[in-house]
Amino acid sequence: MAELLTPAILLSILSASVGAATIILLAALGELLTERAGIWNMGVEGTMLCGCLAAYVAMCETGSPVAAAGAAMLAGVAAGLVIGLLTVSLKVDHFVTGLGFNLLASGLTLFLFRSYTAGGKPAGYGTIDRWPIPFLSEIPGIGPILFNQHLLTYAAFLLVPLVSIFLSRTRPGLECRAAGENPEFLEAKGISVAKRQYGALLVGSALTALGGGFMMLAFATEFRPDISGGRGWLAIVAVIAGNWRPLRTMIAVIVFAVLDSLAIHAQGVGVAIPYQFFLMLPYAASILLLAVLRTRSGQPARLGIPFLRR
Amino acid sequence: MIAFERRESAGWVAQSVAYVLAIVAGLIASVLLIMIAGADVAEGLGALWQGAFGDAEAVGQSLVAAIPLVFTGLATVVAFRAGIWNIGQEGQVFAGAMAGYWMSMQLQGAPAIVAVPAVVIAAIVGGAAVAAACAVLKTRFEVNEIISTMMLNYIVVYLLSYLLAGGPWIEAGSTAYHQTPLIADNFHLPELYGLHLGAPLALLATAAVAFVIARTPLGFELRGLGFNPIAMRYKGVRVATTIIMAMAISGALSAMAGVSEVFGINFRLRAEVLNGLGYTGIIVGMIGALNPWGTLVAALAFGAMANGALYMSVLTDVPSALVPAMQGILLLFVLGATVLTRYRLRFGRKEGRHG
Repeated sequence: MAELLTPAILLSILSASVGAATIILLAALGELLTERAGIWNMGVEGTMLCGCLAAYVAMCETGSPVAAAGAAMLAGVAAGLVIGLLTVSLKVDHFVTGLGFNLLASGLTLFLFRSYTAGGKPAGYGTIDRWPIPFLSEIPGIGPILFNQHLLTYAAFLLVPLVSIFLSRTRPGLECRAAGENPEFLEAKGISVAKRQYGALLVGSALTALGGGFMMLAFATEFRPDISGGRGWLAIVAVIAGNWRPLRTMIAVIVFAVLDSLAIHAQGVGVAIPYQFFLMLPYAASILLLAVLRTRSGQPARLGIPFLRR
Repeated sequence: MIAFERRESAGWVAQSVAYVLAIVAGLIASVLLIMIAGADVAEGLGALWQGAFGDAEAVGQSLVAAIPLVFTGLATVVAFRAGIWNIGQEGQVFAGAMAGYWMSMQLQGAPAIVAVPAVVIAAIVGGAAVAAACAVLKTRFEVNEIISTMMLNYIVVYLLSYLLAGGPWIEAGSTAYHQTPLIADNFHLPELYGLHLGAPLALLATAAVAFVIARTPLGFELRGLGFNPIAMRYKGVRVATTIIMAMAISGALSAMAGVSEVFGINFRLRAEVLNGLGYTGIIVGMIGALNPWGTLVAALAFGAMANGALYMSVLTDVPSALVPAMQGILLLFVLGATVLTRYRLRFGRKEGRHG
């Protein structure tokens, strides 16, 4: 363990954590938005996986990170449409839909990936460059950790207050929340619950898939089956543990991200404990977190209950 | 406007129509997928069929491939019927196989009459323990079981990875393959007519689950829990105990899938032979309409598909991953089609929308 505690390694772990947090944070913010509108979307993992594959293919084809991020978000919108069709329009149980969608995404992305690479390996690409912020990144200690990151990392953390303001201060945000708390009231005012839920689901899923896309751009140069590796589930846990509040959700995300990065570094440094035990950490922590943090006061009253118009 | 009206029970006509529609739509989507892969549709589907049912040997292999899916499918039925979202079949399959293997190491040289039952019991205990742990997390600590079971999947899979990748269970001298040495003959499930003991056990399990759900007090409590947990509490049912029982049974069934793969077919433990059995079992159970006999039929179909996929991927340009993709598509169509059975659709004008 002591090998992990040298200043250089610690710095590297924390810096990697902020990057790794971006993946889960984008997904968690997307899920938070969706859940606040009343849709308990369990398809986060699958949506993320769709984003991963879309970004990978777009990157191989165009070499442009912007195109890759766009492709990931489009894949997310498509995923959101499928989930919305089932949950919002057809009133299928939200849990069942999400589980089904994950299984579909796992099989479908694998099939599309194999079909894509069937004619030989694509050219591949390198991970994208960081965008150090001038001056700030030179602050000793926190500079390289916080301000020598990718552009999307800054954007993701900036989204935390923005989502918070959107939900508490803007009209569409309040209408989304009403869809999750009191849909009858919304309908009585002549506002469509379905439209608000679709809106939240499409934007939320696009963010989730962007998280997957970012993972492909910043951490991986090749797609693997089920490459999202449970990060979508960690995002769901972060939302619950964060009591459906953006800032607290972010804190939970950071906990997972640090544990996630610890595993990678433990492997590199050669700690005596087998690396598989480090890999288990985020998942074990998520169970522990839910067992300890049992406040559910922020849970939308009608979360996961299909809305039947009378 | 289309309005939804909930209805109490679905007629079998509506259910059959829904299934036929879903299967047709699923097949059309699969044809589109083969076209995306740039392969010949007739050739691909022909090879899939040939590989699944081409001759007696293929049929036998399809049946063998269906055995673990019957178990994980039934595991889904038991939990989901009680409204418990156990999606930990994958980890419970692994846990069962690992517990069974551990027992086989303890009893080296025991006669088959002792060895086989001991392995089966150990596996059942292992799978049930993992599942019951999640049930306790749910009843005592209010941890959502979807999350705890999913997270334990990752944890258990990593545990096996540790035991095999250079860990204590790896075959001596083997570094390229993460697998245990071959298991001695006395632990193999006995072979019957080209199938192994898992086949009659799977049939037996189907009948047993059907009987328990339909005819026993526990089955009544399970169904009641899925239907209205609050009413069950008022009726004096100890809800926590029922949840733990349901999860333990579900985990034990999943464990049997691990036993049949490791001790019936491969005779050594490695992750590749267990991968996906649990997740496919969720689809099998849901497509089987959470009915034990329906699940048996779905498992037979899925076993055939999995077996045919190997043949197809060798002979044609269609990747074997077509099958999991097809299964996922089929599942979503079946879920969509259940709308037909759960709601009466009312087509009409927009009248009364705001009232």
